[in-house]
Amino acid sequence: MFNLLSLSWRNIWRHRSRSLMTVGAVALAVFFTLFYLSFLGAMENGIYNNLTASVGHLQVRVEGYREKREFRDLLIPNAAGVEAQLAQKTQAARVIALEVPALIAGETRSRGALLLGNQRPPEMRARFIQQHLVEGTLPAVGDLEGIALGQALAKALKLRLGDPVYVYAPGTLGRGAAAYRLVGLLRFPDPAAEARSAYLSLAAAQELAAPGSATRIELHFPFTRYTQDAQLGPIQAQLAQQLGPGLSLESWKEVSPAIAQIFDLLTPLVLIFAALFFGLAGLLVLNTIYLSLLERTRELGVIVALGAGPAQVTRMVVLESLLLCSSGALVGGGLGLLSIAALSGGFSLEALYGEVGGVFGLPETIYLSLRAWDIPITLGFALATGLLAAWWPARVAASLEPVEAMRFTA
Amino acid sequence: MKPVLQVKELSKIYKVDTVETPALRGVNLEIQPGEFTALAGPSGSGKSTLLHLMGGLDRPTAGEVWLDGVRIDGFSKTRLAHLRLWNLGFVFQAYNLIPVLTALENAAFVLELRGEPREAREEKALRALETLGMKDFAHRRPNQLSGGQQQRVAVARALAAQPKIILADEPTANLDSKTGLALIEHLRTLNRAQGITFVFSTHDPRLLERVDRIVRLEDGQIAA
Repeated sequence: MFNLLSLSWRNIWRHRSRSLMTVGAVALAVFFTLFYLSFLGAMENGIYNNLTASVGHLQVRVEGYREKREFRDLLIPNAAGVEAQLAQKTQAARVIALEVPALIAGETRSRGALLLGNQRPPEMRARFIQQHLVEGTLPAVGDLEGIALGQALAKALKLRLGDPVYVYAPGTLGRGAAAYRLVGLLRFPDPAAEARSAYLSLAAAQELAAPGSATRIELHFPFTRYTQDAQLGPIQAQLAQQLGPGLSLESWKEVSPAIAQIFDLLTPLVLIFAALFFGLAGLLVLNTIYLSLLERTRELGVIVALGAGPAQVTRMVVLESLLLCSSGALVGGGLGLLSIAALSGGFSLEALYGEVGGVFGLPETIYLSLRAWDIPITLGFALATGLLAAWWPARVAASLEPVEAMRFTA
Repeated sequence: MKPVLQVKELSKIYKVDTVETPALRGVNLEIQPGEFTALAGPSGSGKSTLLHLMGGLDRPTAGEVWLDGVRIDGFSKTRLAHLRLWNLGFVFQAYNLIPVLTALENAAFVLELRGEPREAREEKALRALETLGMKDFAHRRPNQLSGGQQQRVAVARALAAQPKIILADEPTANLDSKTGLALIEHLRTLNRAQGITFVFSTHDPRLLERVDRIVRLEDGQIAA
């Protein structure tokens, strides 16, 4: 025995090929939207992880450091004391970093570089080594003799592992100049960064340029972009109160406002694309529903004559549209989820964007994954498409005069 | 006795652009409960128009339509639909069954619109099909039925809903004489057995021979 739902289902399959095309269009829209959402989500996650790994989730700096030009004005004195104070308030991993503008020279060549001395917790150090070290080792904690260089910088200076490296840091508060031995070569996605990167232990950098000081203290939380990043705000507010005068605490968004702005644009961008996909699919649904109604005008006239009110006729038309769209959503959603699951192990995009991606902090490997709201958003689009596409045909059908409709010949 | 259907000074003018074609001109008519009435007349005399106006399927240009003592010609679209659903049954010349539904589902269609539970509507629809000798064809679709069988399913659809009045527009026009006659006998039996009021538009002499009353229309008026 039938009901209005099964009648609508049978109606949409009267023209099998036409309905299949429409279902296919909705399925494609759902598939692309899900895939696109998961792809951009993965990109955003990757950029977020890269960025927070290099600058931290929160960062202690000297207040107004952006306007300051002198090296000495950028220094946080007694960095170890500030770090110890933070350690009492948070479980976050802490990195003390001293950035020193320096001239780095080999036997025959020299280059300007940004020398970084830092002290990372062991697990972060291990991750850094795994991701960036291509040869040799990273200067150990307290090592006053070893230096690691970006391999592009080492190449430019014609240096190999074991060669002496001379560093000049004029205008700083330490020794100002020192000789080290090249112990490691590093690789970075951004070739420009690789050509100006030099790494010392924190102790070595402080001895060279600013004893006891740092230019920043990073706080690293085990946060992911979508689940926990929102927790940063309250933590930042609470920790900022504990800092001494002259220091500020910035989030990664404040440290890298351009990236934060890109993130803010990504979701609306996805939604605009999704609206376009579904807009096109919606036109096909509208066409199918309208043609189907036009062919059944006489039949609809009979249904109205038998006593179906405008609301019942509207419901029948909307049901047909929703059934088309939900069939498409089921097919497209299934294919989309299968594809995402198949690619969730990660795939490299290096061939696609090459070295350019590194400049923008794009991840080399993408791990497709869906956020909690991606599926409801996509299904919501499919549902809205069904409703919007049915709106006009439903109005036309509901306004049919039975006698006129029964006389209608297509 | 209070008429179940009544029209007073009923007129209908069809207008196409600036051309006006009068279909009914001041018709007055009363139908009593249980009557088996035929609206007869040549093509274009206004039979179908009168039937449509009495059934709330169309709106008059002037005049009044009363159903069971209630004036219905000013009803809204929704109220008219409700009125048709709960009070009237229709049988059309071209059967007008829904092709994707079986005979049983077609017969139960009005009951589905009324929101009756599945079992109740299936039982009523089956009974109506049985009355018309169509029980064995209950699970066939319209394209698997002959014209006469389809028309009997259409009558079963009207009958299953147990309306007060069944309005039939040339119900035998597309049937051969044997099938048409059999259908007329069925309708007559139902009228006598269940007291349902029937009003037909027809120019089929076989049907006219079997009705209680013939209302003859000529040029949109009731002939003297």
